[in-house]
Amino acid sequence: MGQLAEYFNAIGRTILTCSDGLAVTFSHLFRKPITIQYPDRTAKPLTEMLPERSRGILEMDQELCTGCSLCSKQCPINCITIDVQKNAETKERILNKFVIDIGKCMFCGLCVEACKFSAIRHSKEFEGTVSDVNRLKINFVEQPAPVAKPKKGEDPVLKPVGSIIRKYLADQWAPAANKSSDTNSGGKSE
Amino acid sequence: MNALADFIINSLGLSGLSAELVMLLLVVAVAAAVFGIGMTISGLLTLAERRVAGRIQSRIGPNRVGPFGLLQWLVDGLKLIMKEDVVPHDADPHMFRMAPYLVVVGVFAAFASLPFGQLLIASDLNVGILYLLAITSLVTVGVLMSGWASNNKWSMIGGIRAAAQIVSYEIPTALSVASIILISGTLSMQGIINEQGGWPWQWYIFYNPFTFAVFFLYFTAALAEGNRIPFDLPEAESELVSGYNTEYSGMRFAGFFLAEFANIYLMSAIATTLFFGGWQIPGVTPEQQAGSLVLQITGMVVFMSKSAVGCFVVIWIRWTLPRLRIDQLMSLCYKYLIPLSFVCLGGNAIYLLIFPKPSSANTLVHMITTLFGGVLIVIFVTRVMYHHRISGVSLDLNFLARGEKGKYNPETQVRAYGSFRKKYEKKQGAK
Amino acid sequence: MTTVIRELGDEQRELVLNMGPHHPSTHGVLRFVLHTDGEVMRKAVPEIGYLHRGLEKIAESTTYPGYVPYTDRVNYLEAMFANEAFSKAIESLSDIEVPERAQYLRAIAGELNRIASHNITIGCITMDLGAITPFVHLLRERETINDLIEALCGQRVTHHYVRIGGVAYDADDNWLKQVEKFLNHFEAIIEELDNLIVYNEILVKRMADVAVITADDAVGFGLVGPNLRASGVDWDLRRDMPYGIYPKLDFDVPIGAGEKGTVGDCFDRFVVRVRELKQSCRIIRQCINNIPDGDIIGNVSRKIKPPKGEVYSCVEGARGELGVYVVSDGTEKPYRVKWRSGSFSAMSIIEHISEGLMIADLVAVIATLDVIAPETDR
Repeated sequence: MGQLAEYFNAIGRTILTCSDGLAVTFSHLFRKPITIQYPDRTAKPLTEMLPERSRGILEMDQELCTGCSLCSKQCPINCITIDVQKNAETKERILNKFVIDIGKCMFCGLCVEACKFSAIRHSKEFEGTVSDVNRLKINFVEQPAPVAKPKKGEDPVLKPVGSIIRKYLADQWAPAANKSSDTNSGGKSE
Repeated sequence: MNALADFIINSLGLSGLSAELVMLLLVVAVAAAVFGIGMTISGLLTLAERRVAGRIQSRIGPNRVGPFGLLQWLVDGLKLIMKEDVVPHDADPHMFRMAPYLVVVGVFAAFASLPFGQLLIASDLNVGILYLLAITSLVTVGVLMSGWASNNKWSMIGGIRAAAQIVSYEIPTALSVASIILISGTLSMQGIINEQGGWPWQWYIFYNPFTFAVFFLYFTAALAEGNRIPFDLPEAESELVSGYNTEYSGMRFAGFFLAEFANIYLMSAIATTLFFGGWQIPGVTPEQQAGSLVLQITGMVVFMSKSAVGCFVVIWIRWTLPRLRIDQLMSLCYKYLIPLSFVCLGGNAIYLLIFPKPSSANTLVHMITTLFGGVLIVIFVTRVMYHHRISGVSLDLNFLARGEKGKYNPETQVRAYGSFRKKYEKKQGAK
Repeated sequence: MTTVIRELGDEQRELVLNMGPHHPSTHGVLRFVLHTDGEVMRKAVPEIGYLHRGLEKIAESTTYPGYVPYTDRVNYLEAMFANEAFSKAIESLSDIEVPERAQYLRAIAGELNRIASHNITIGCITMDLGAITPFVHLLRERETINDLIEALCGQRVTHHYVRIGGVAYDADDNWLKQVEKFLNHFEAIIEELDNLIVYNEILVKRMADVAVITADDAVGFGLVGPNLRASGVDWDLRRDMPYGIYPKLDFDVPIGAGEKGTVGDCFDRFVVRVRELKQSCRIIRQCINNIPDGDIIGNVSRKIKPPKGEVYSCVEGARGELGVYVVSDGTEKPYRVKWRSGSFSAMSIIEHISEGLMIADLVAVIATLDVIAPETDR
């Protein structure tokens, strides 16, 4: 008798639990989907929706960089290469090269935290697809120029976040004709 | 179809060889039409499955190709046609190539005997339901063949599982169908529908408590025969990679795929015929329907929508329940479904002895069973409403509107370490 | 056609199946060599090393603060705990005091991370057993947690939030309120999950009495965390070897009780994780209510040089004890770092319990033991 009761109990349990599960899934038919139809059907570009602290691709503002190379010393994978030369005549330090290898970068943010002058920072950009991995080495120095000399107590003038890197990312997909001229003018890749 | 053939042959006054020729052409045309309808239905079902699954999972589902993604299935088919048809190096090439044909033929040949409308049936065999049970068994051979011929261990396990499963579940299916045959007294699909009526209490599902149980037995067994979750062991994705069709690609894979979806429609259509009154319109007798084109079309729509609901339930179950294990699958069949269907068969036989067909007591039983079914649906709807109330509130933390364009506060990303920390503390203090 | 069944001595017929490294149910790149007799298994031999990245060797060439982001990669589902374990090791080595607010933030972020990780685990268990929808529902909730953590520290998976001496960013009141809002929502989802799948008879039957691990075996093989607790061993580092602010908090430790079968079966391992979701919610609520104002990071210099010595520090991660052993030689860089992870010991017990299981059971065992390939191989 006990076995028979267990037999029908098992049937009853199966029907009850399964139909309650079905009720849950059925109630989902009346709920709103949460899909964000990235990339083309969002209310505004996704980079503008990310939170303030979002750590995207690094960007560097040449006008603020003092060439102190604190950032490259902090970087655990050495993806930042800085080349500063002293001009023999004017005794000025010239920033020749500031290359960040985005392909190596692990977005830990240690370089940004180390920078005293807010020169290097995370943008919110994250779409960095390129056809050649070497193009991810981005040189942020357009023209070799003397390093910045910030005065004490003055707040730096900050460019809008992402405005620097966006230009380089757009260059990656520029038509082939423009590429050579870009490289000649010291544009981007090394 | 025979009536149509007779009509054409008689009106053209043909005889002998030319009449045979017309007959042959007609057979080919009808077969092509049935195949086309079957393909379209299964194609649309793939789309329906993905859309329903999307909504169940808080997603949208395919919505880019055509309005509401309605053309997605065509594009998918096109893609599969253009894919390379790979035959593994060590496979048995002939058997490997033949297997999908057997599966497709087994499923789509069954469409010939589906009563889409009162006159819309390709072939109203007087053993219609037996034909359906028999022809779908061809699928077993195809699946076993594909599993063996692939020369892949996972495929072989899948094929063997499929054979064991489909053969076992033929028995409860046939037994539950036998209950209905007992009541209707005919094997013909149209005959079974003619015996029922348009209103729910005239359907065979609410004929008596035994047929009510038989429906669920039939449905479970048919799910298992169609290799759907919770019985999709032959292609159990997380265990056997993809089961018997692991090695298939391109159109041959599409063959398996479409056959699976055609099978869903097939089982829903058979359930509609056997239990839900087929094309019968409430309040309209078959005689009235025979005379009117509008009613004919309405009848077809009724049949289609009833089976569409069936398909929805199958899809809905797939996206809810987990999968059984192979030994549990077998014990479910042999310990539960088969004894219970025998009980129901016996119960129906005794019921027919006690309550002869046209009697007021019989009608009362129909009504009570219908009421019981209605109560079950009401309970279910309350549960759905309960779940919707408890957890249906969507969470809106308004994250995606946090960042302001172009704004950058250096302190958001700056570490407060050592000397930097002191600097920022000073700055904070100054402010 | 080559034969797939080979003859062994004593007329044993054995089918050797190769499950993985690319198989839908071996999450990540695990590989098992199955010796089966039809569907029934004789032996399942795990093979590891497909995801070895040399994380321990890398430590020897990076600075201490520079190694913290690497710990994110020990296990992609519980970056917060790996951060915390390593930071805790260096803090105790060089006597850095962690401010109280930072400890509360660590607990909140850690428990959020635990919920996210358990969501994946529970979802994967149900998905491997055939139910696909709970996985997607739980992933949806995890997305919200990722959004919350991104708002807190800027990254969704590799957080790099817990630092040596404290945490990297402070949380504002608005963020804490949003966490609370999420908890209100998520507790309803846990209840829904119970109705949807946890007590589903098919799922219970698939897991009850399958692959029972006795308490002795569990301790002997070094199982930790939920796997150990499912076998009836009452051991939780948060309560038994307290660290951070956990001693001040009030929470239960769910233990496997053989609810539907034997103690230590797959269902226990599954249901212990479901129960832990609720406890994590409880912990976060207490933290939000009691969080004090103050610093978020202790006085740490940019260059950390711990004194000579060695230390083992462990935290209760989502997969149990996540420990790190650090040897310092007094320089900027660690001399040796060794990780101890729950997945590795869970992997080692599979061969022991696999005899007599079916292929479908093995899938359940791998899923409920919660083996994560990168944590196994480091």
